[in-house]
Amino acid sequence: MSADASDLSLVRRVQRGDKGAFDALVLKYQHKLVKLVMRYVRNPAEAEDIAQEAFIKAYRALPQFRGDSAFYTWLYRIAINTAKNAVVSRDRSPVEYDLDRNNNDESYDMQGRMKDSETPEGLVLTDEIRSTVNAAIDALPEDLRTAIVLRELEGLSYEEIAAAMECPVGTVRSRIFRAREAIDRRLREVFEGGLGRAEELG
Amino acid sequence: MNEELDSQLSAMFDDELPPAECELLARRLSRDEPLKARWGRYAIMGAVIRAERGVRLNAPLAGRVNAVLLAEPALAAHAAPRDLRGSRLHWWQPLAGAALAASVAAVSILWLRAQGPADAPLSAHLRSPPAVSVAPAGAATQGDSYVVPVPKQPAGVTVPSTELANYVVAHSMFSPPVARRNLLSAFMTSEPAAAGTEEPPGDLKGIAQ
Repeated sequence: MSADASDLSLVRRVQRGDKGAFDALVLKYQHKLVKLVMRYVRNPAEAEDIAQEAFIKAYRALPQFRGDSAFYTWLYRIAINTAKNAVVSRDRSPVEYDLDRNNNDESYDMQGRMKDSETPEGLVLTDEIRSTVNAAIDALPEDLRTAIVLRELEGLSYEEIAAAMECPVGTVRSRIFRAREAIDRRLREVFEGGLGRAEELG
Repeated sequence: MNEELDSQLSAMFDDELPPAECELLARRLSRDEPLKARWGRYAIMGAVIRAERGVRLNAPLAGRVNAVLLAEPALAAHAAPRDLRGSRLHWWQPLAGAALAASVAAVSILWLRAQGPADAPLSAHLRSPPAVSVAPAGAATQGDSYVVPVPKQPAGVTVPSTELANYVVAHSMFSPPVARRNLLSAFMTSEPAAAGTEEPPGDLKGIAQ
């Protein structure tokens, strides 16, 4: 299996003018990118702003992307540079919350959380998503749970998981798919249950 | 939802789908909103399993990026005018080329005439070997010499004027007819009768055609 073929097929579509394909790339990598940026900034809202800027920079630079490296590696570098620049420019500008941060870390955190008009309802939803997924994983049969965890947590390829679980690669693919289907059934209920909508996942 | 399609989507999310199938599914994914929403939920599952603390799973980041990009031209549409700009010929470009070719030819003629007596025929300049100072044999031992010895041309290898005329005409194909006629008449008036009988050297044969 050629590595990064899935991202590359989406990237090629974007390069041919298909913006919907870029949307899929954002959906896939947004959490990873925000997590990465949060090494540089503590505030989730600020991290999201920087991640947004990195995605937009990546979109504009995509005509120059030749596919010599994996798309995420390339995106990762853009995000790191964007985060570093944001930190430098923030440190240069006299922002008042820096003073607050020194005086009272707790108030800084609250400011940061409320800055992007994050509602208590939204915070509850994040927690609900997290607990729903965890509960769904716990309820999975052992073989499905092992397969999805090895894939998502350890980042193993299907071939490596097949070797670890002593089963064919096709079985691994099927187990991971069935695990996701089982989790997704529960997750859809959360999103369709009133707090959020499926299309607001991004 | 088609189970086979969802299974492919799961494999594609893990980069485990053959490239040919990826191409087809990528096209569908970019247009099919429910499929894209499922793809987004697969990403959320991964984030939860990796326990990415602090990352808000319901943050509308993709929607925000999408809103910004809506105002931007699509990449292919954006690239197309640039390609056209690069390849389009302006009306003055052939004229400029013609003027350049004509002026190069004219300067060549004037330069050749200036090399000898004003009344000498042009072909005489062409036949006579260039006046090059050749350093004496012992010059190298006497110090650095700035005179580069030129290898002697074999006897009879000169550029005949007819061949040069053909060469100039071939390279001034864009020049206006008047300029071309003037050039040829300049050659003809300076041409002795014998010059036309010379065999053109091999290295110019191809060029003159």
